[in-house]
Amino acid sequence: MIRTSVILASENPLSHVVQHPLFTLQVGSWQLNFSNHMLMALVAGLLMIIFLPLAARQRTMVPQGARNLVETICEFLREKVARPQLGENTDRFIKYLWTIFYFILFCNLLGMIPTDGILYFLIGKNHLGGTATCNIYITGTLAVTAFIMVHVSGIRHQGLFNYIKHFVPTVPWPLIPILFVLELLGAFIKPFALAIRLFANMLAGHTVLAALIGMALVLHNYTIAGVTILGASALSLLELFVAFLQAYIFTFLTTIFISAAVHPEH
Amino acid sequence: MFDCNILAEGMLAIGDPGLAALGVGLGAGLVGMGAALGIGRIAGNAVESIARQPEAGGRIFSSMIITAALIEGFTFFALVISILALNKIG
Repeated sequence: MIRTSVILASENPLSHVVQHPLFTLQVGSWQLNFSNHMLMALVAGLLMIIFLPLAARQRTMVPQGARNLVETICEFLREKVARPQLGENTDRFIKYLWTIFYFILFCNLLGMIPTDGILYFLIGKNHLGGTATCNIYITGTLAVTAFIMVHVSGIRHQGLFNYIKHFVPTVPWPLIPILFVLELLGAFIKPFALAIRLFANMLAGHTVLAALIGMALVLHNYTIAGVTILGASALSLLELFVAFLQAYIFTFLTTIFISAAVHPEH
Repeated sequence: MFDCNILAEGMLAIGDPGLAALGVGLGAGLVGMGAALGIGRIAGNAVESIARQPEAGGRIFSSMIITAALIEGFTFFALVISILALNKIG
């Protein structure tokens, strides 16, 4: 009977979800703990830098292959998502929107590839892969960039006083302080909700997968293991759909916030 | 100690961490129920409106998916709060 630790990359299925520290850099009095989530975020960035320009570089008139895919996604985001909201400001913001869409998409999809098992077979190292967006700090950083983009572009388009004046709609004067406080809170809660939505969707997907597989590991039964494999395959397909959907939702909501800040009369 | 009040005896037996875990479990379950009700209503209305006008099927389907993802967003808010509470107490 082959021991499980030879085949599986880890005996605890929840280890694919948590962050594993890889090495520690000591810079003066600061300590930088480099973890596998940071590594996967870097890998996603590198993949974007290498493959997206390569796909766009085909010289044929009719798009084929990878260029077709990249062009379809980019055109869908620009025409169907950004242009109805932003109108003539589409070209100013579309590069940022494309970037966050592809970054979130690549991070989510890299989390679905079983890099742990493959790397465990090739080199003995373990826990080098993972989902970068399973980390609240990485999704929080994306939300902070969305926050900066929304408010800085709003202030640059309308001027600071005009922008704050447009926070509240035209209502009778007793309601203005309450509405102003609510809008101010909303300006912080909306990016926070963006971060939490992406983080919790990815975390919940992987945790449910881990719980399902853990159930098969606990009950040593071949029938249950077979049914678990089918269930885990179906759940992984749902996970792939959720990866695309969450990237699209993040981009779509950021577009709506930017258009609300730049064109408040929508 | 209490020979007629099972509820009070149970609460004494599981203690404070037990009560906290009970609260977390009930909270998460109720949030899941609320989300399921909301998304079920959206799906029902979406399917009915696609049946009324099949040409608008694509747009209705996209709106349904987006609204379901938004509702799931604040469902996960509550789930994350439950997990945080469980880590702190239980």
